[in-house]
Amino acid sequence: MMIRVRFHGRGGQGAKTASRILGTAAFNEGLNVQDSPVYGAERRGAPVAAFTRISDGEVLERGYVFDPDVVMVMDSTLLDNPTARPLDGIRRRGVLFVNSQTGSSFHGIQTARPDIRVATFDLTGEALSLVGKAVISSATAAAAARIIGLVTDGSLEKAIRSELEELGLNDELIEKNVTLGRKVFASLEPVELSTDEYFVRSGLVPFELIMGERTGTEEITSAGNSNAVKTGSWRIFKPIIDYNKCTACMVCFAYCPESALTLRGDYKPVIDEDNCKGCLICYRECPPKAITLEKEVREF
Amino acid sequence: MLQGMPSQGYYTRKGGEGVLSGSTLMTGNLAAAWGARLAGVDYVPAYPITPQTEIIETIAKWVRLGQMKGKLVQMDSEHSMLTAAGSASLSGARVFTATSSQGLLYGLEMLYNISGWRAPILLVNVSRGLAAPITLEPDHNDVLAARDSGFLQFHAETCQEVLDLILLGYRVAEDRSVLLPAIVNLDGFYLSFTREKVELPKMDTVSTFLPEYDPPAPLRATKPVSHGATVLSGNLYSYFRYRMHAASLEASEVFRKASAEYGGLFGREYEATEGYMLQDAEYVIVMSNSFTTIGKQVVAKLRERGVAAGLLKLRMLRPFPFDDVAKSLAGRRAVAVFDQNLSPGFGGILYPEILASLYHKKNRPQFVLPVVGGLGGKQLTVQELERVFESLRNGPPTFPDRPDPMYLMREDEFDRAKRNIAIASGGG
Repeated sequence: MMIRVRFHGRGGQGAKTASRILGTAAFNEGLNVQDSPVYGAERRGAPVAAFTRISDGEVLERGYVFDPDVVMVMDSTLLDNPTARPLDGIRRRGVLFVNSQTGSSFHGIQTARPDIRVATFDLTGEALSLVGKAVISSATAAAAARIIGLVTDGSLEKAIRSELEELGLNDELIEKNVTLGRKVFASLEPVELSTDEYFVRSGLVPFELIMGERTGTEEITSAGNSNAVKTGSWRIFKPIIDYNKCTACMVCFAYCPESALTLRGDYKPVIDEDNCKGCLICYRECPPKAITLEKEVREF
Repeated sequence: MLQGMPSQGYYTRKGGEGVLSGSTLMTGNLAAAWGARLAGVDYVPAYPITPQTEIIETIAKWVRLGQMKGKLVQMDSEHSMLTAAGSASLSGARVFTATSSQGLLYGLEMLYNISGWRAPILLVNVSRGLAAPITLEPDHNDVLAARDSGFLQFHAETCQEVLDLILLGYRVAEDRSVLLPAIVNLDGFYLSFTREKVELPKMDTVSTFLPEYDPPAPLRATKPVSHGATVLSGNLYSYFRYRMHAASLEASEVFRKASAEYGGLFGREYEATEGYMLQDAEYVIVMSNSFTTIGKQVVAKLRERGVAAGLLKLRMLRPFPFDDVAKSLAGRRAVAVFDQNLSPGFGGILYPEILASLYHKKNRPQFVLPVVGGLGGKQLTVQELERVFESLRNGPPTFPDRPDPMYLMREDEFDRAKRNIAIASGGG
């Protein structure tokens, strides 16, 4: 028996911690576990993946989980993200879980992959109401633990406590997360996971093809191409400017680390929504408090 | 139980230094830090670099909390770090340090000095592809750049091996018949940030296995000694270099004996190489480091289908285990050497070492296929390794000429790379 869970989240949402809570919970049950994250350069909001492999035997695998039994999508905007590609390789009769605020049934995905089971739950809404923050590591781990069905609520709670303690969270916050985990765990049902490989095989590129490349790709020399990555999709909250309150002091313009704020003719700021990562520094620094926040809700 | 560390054993929490042991989930980086802690190191000169930094952060935390007795000093570069490491070792301190990639290369000059001083420090390298272009994930061009430095080299496949090879590494390095520094290598991400089960040995048993370092000529204010003398003569230089080579060769036997003792104490015994399903194997792949695990998976799958596949893992790279390799590979039908590194203009770096081990064997394999893959941590899939075994079974297409090397890249990866390059070059 081997169960592979792949978590897709955004930097700061808790994907790595979720994979560890699930791993620790399964380890507490006496199972063999391997968990790991991939995140490149650590950037809040950027797509992150993490993996938990759980087995009653040896784990002879490493690195990226290409053929997950369960995929946990912590942010529904990742569903069509070309870097994250969360739907890739989900095993036949596997489970796709989406943290969703809209109650969508993801009909398009079900049509494309009628063999997989789609489960949804509003983890973020639950986290905001029970913890007061949009961090959903415990909630996601609880959902995954319930879906795979190998972990008791007791092992899960113990794992939430030990992993969040390791991160230095205070007792109050840890207990709120335990409550959140318990709520999510009780709200979902285990899924029978008798899955089969669903794999799009890809051939190997003969070296002559790489040798024969004559397109000037020895290096990437073009400058200013970071705009091509639309980091606007990384936002969890969007800053909104109230132009009646704005005094054109330009503080937000000076502080924006991404140059995603430009000034219009009257020196009041305009936000480049394609590239604003939602770091909210402008919101914190604005002297007249002319910036408010709006939760991003974008569905696939 | 220590914070965040789940336990299936008798791993007790808080203030329990010396009584911690049992089976826990930990990353390769944490296992490396535990190696240093259990070895009771005296001095840790440090400099941060991804993906190694967690090792030093963990040790810094333990030192601050008084759970580890050694002294940690943050230096101004890897060059200074290694200079301090070698010098401290000459005074008789047990020294631990760690780096990755560019950091190792920045300190490379000092590696040759430290081995020449015969200072048995232990350096953990967390492999990361070398710039340029810049990446964070692993291949072995970094650690193999230090291949000829005189450092012993041990390469880990699992987090458990990281810890065990650090303890074994000190024991071999500090042996009077060796007195050479050692590198323990682990892959960034695939081990450094990956948690798996690790058995933590008991501190007092480790102290039995690894007593305090007893240097032959320690630097003392009251008793001056010199190290790294100027010789300015080829014959003196050659003499000392040959002596270093002899000591490195001697380390094979010292490792073997130490490992047997380690096995008796902790239940895990290591050889310079490890065979996986090697018995009666006709087609064998040679691998090292963390991707070996994926190789084992493929071999197990092929065995289920009746293919006589096997794997040989290189654990000790220096001294090079010629005899083990020759014994394991002679008589096989075909062998593939998986190099997770690239010497541009030549190919994989370990390939010729494997060939050199086999050349004088009468029953050497007729076909030794060079394979390069996993550069910069490029993912390795089961299907790619299946293709490698397929090539072994089909035999060399150009035999008896030199076999065409395989440079692994999947079509979907190639397409995606080209698409990314097009976006980056065209700005949209």
